[in-house]
Amino acid sequence: MSSVADASVAPRASAWGRFRRWLANPWGRPRFLPLLTWGYVAWSIVPVLIAVQFSFNATRSRTNWEGFSTRWYWGDPVDSVWHDPTLRNALVQSLKLAVADVVIATPIGVLLAIGLARWHGRGSGTSNFLMLFPLVTPEIVMGVSLLLVFTEVFTFIGTGTTAQILGHVTFSISYVVVIVRGRLFSIGRQFEEAAADLGASPTAALTRVLLPLLMPAIVASAAVVFAISIDDFVISQWLSSGGETDTVPVKIYSATRAAPLPSTNAIASIMMVLTLASITLGFLVWRAFTRGERRAGQSVVKDMGALEI
Amino acid sequence: MARGEIRLIGLTKRFAEVTAVDHIDLDIAPGEFFSLLGPSGCGKTTTLRMIAGFEQPSEGRIILDGTDVAYTPPHKRNVNTVFQNYALFPHLDVFDNVAFGLRRAKRPKNEVKERALQALALVQLGGLESRKPSQLSGGQQQRVALARALVLNPSVLLLDEPLGALDAKLRKTLQIELKTLQREVGITFIYVTHDQEEALTMSDRLAVMNGGQVEQIGAPQDVYEDPETLFVADFLGVSNLMDATAQGAHDGRCRVRADTFELAAGSGAIDVTGPAKIVIRPERIELESREAASGPNRLPGMVERLVYVGAAVQVIVRVATGDALQVLVPNTGKSLPYQQGTPVQVHLPVEALRVLVADEAGEAGPAKDAALAEASGRD
Repeated sequence: MSSVADASVAPRASAWGRFRRWLANPWGRPRFLPLLTWGYVAWSIVPVLIAVQFSFNATRSRTNWEGFSTRWYWGDPVDSVWHDPTLRNALVQSLKLAVADVVIATPIGVLLAIGLARWHGRGSGTSNFLMLFPLVTPEIVMGVSLLLVFTEVFTFIGTGTTAQILGHVTFSISYVVVIVRGRLFSIGRQFEEAAADLGASPTAALTRVLLPLLMPAIVASAAVVFAISIDDFVISQWLSSGGETDTVPVKIYSATRAAPLPSTNAIASIMMVLTLASITLGFLVWRAFTRGERRAGQSVVKDMGALEI
Repeated sequence: MARGEIRLIGLTKRFAEVTAVDHIDLDIAPGEFFSLLGPSGCGKTTTLRMIAGFEQPSEGRIILDGTDVAYTPPHKRNVNTVFQNYALFPHLDVFDNVAFGLRRAKRPKNEVKERALQALALVQLGGLESRKPSQLSGGQQQRVALARALVLNPSVLLLDEPLGALDAKLRKTLQIELKTLQREVGITFIYVTHDQEEALTMSDRLAVMNGGQVEQIGAPQDVYEDPETLFVADFLGVSNLMDATAQGAHDGRCRVRADTFELAAGSGAIDVTGPAKIVIRPERIELESREAASGPNRLPGMVERLVYVGAAVQVIVRVATGDALQVLVPNTGKSLPYQQGTPVQVHLPVEALRVLVADEAGEAGPAKDAALAEASGRD
């Protein structure tokens, strides 16, 4: 009995042999890929988590953990985000710019995308290509240029909130165009043709068919615009007219250079949460709107990847 | 009043580099089921898109019930389209999809409801009003597309390979349903397909297109039995083509010489002389043993291959002229007395053998129409 069992077992390779086979098999389970991926995730997230942790520190230290507290958010009567007027002001200014940016850049970008995707005339190719320029132009160059425009040419604008909003809108439109245009290409012309075929005027085709179909892309691009506007440092800084119009990133920058307190970490954490929330919201809305369109097994991430961002 | 009469006159569409549709003339009668059949790139879909209004013709006219609509925008034409991928609005449910056109036409609410439900009942989709298109099977989506187009009661319904995305069995069922439906509603159907079987089973008449031009127009039987050009003979069904030299008409048949064999062809361009092609359908060839009857129009050969195709057996015979002929023998349950290498002889019945001019270029449309009138007069 035992001899039969023994005969059926293949001679076992040595441990070293098995290890070499495991290492050399390119079709086996990935071995270093998960390691690299998790290594990268840790490398990029851990510093952020530590910064967030110290925003809850009980003392003024940003390096020694001395207990949990929320004093830097609202507890401290002088230096908390809630009580320090400069920090609160920066937060309000950032939100103001981001909301204005979303409200102005999204509709313009959507209309531009429709125009660019549906116009096939002389110069349409060039225009489509030029739309990508703001995405690749170094922000510092755009900041300087805009500053010159607002202080030398359109002097009635000058620096300040208006200039900052215009600056943000300028570079945000490209993101909207790219996202919405991707969606336009993926839905094709057939739905507009079907609408026209069923007697819809061009206006009705736009409002009844095209815009509802573009809704996920519109929401997603609004979320992206909100996130990049909140996040922006260079343009906000160049076009700022001083303390009153400093945004959160500008404030963090200057505070860190002077005498940093955990309240800086606190406001940075708030900003991060806002960015994450807007992106998550965009993602969820996209998923809800396109639920019926995905083929089985196709993930939302892949679907959004098809946006050609 | 006759509704749904459509005439295409010299219709042409040129894109930057290519001429997709090249001066085609078609007359489609009211209530007709008319198919445009051809390989991909033959211009059939472009023709349909011009009738729908999605493309503007470069030249020519589209007369719909007496009015030229060639430059009318699509939303002002009384034609509706069933798209290849249905193009159902994914954000609307079935009812709203079907009601879309009625609402654009500003029909009263109760009429919208009544007509939309009627259309859904017509395509046997009652009860599915509140489903989203993504929750329907391919066949159901196809029916919704049909209901959505039919509910507006168009003069002409355009169908762009509507069954292309469905599996073979469902296609067969829907072919029959579609034809029945068309008879019921009496609307002119213009049906674009590359599937010759679909075109043959459903159409009242069909036009075979190639390279932007119409090769032949006629009833399915005429086009299948009497192909006028090599292209039509080859595209519709399987044809055996052989090179031959025509020697002119004699006793109402054409004497042709294939290799060293003298044959008589009873149909086609029987009065031609010079290089020609002779054509015969696989199901019309008779397979005989070598010892059996001898007579005219017989060629010796050898069985090269037997292919079992279910309802029939395909026998490939290499005949003495060097050509391989396909012979279709119905499957009667008895095993065939042939196998690979069996010497046989094929009988090409005179009336089934067709002679066609080798070079089909230069055949003008009107001449073909005249030939067609002649052909249909003969039946």
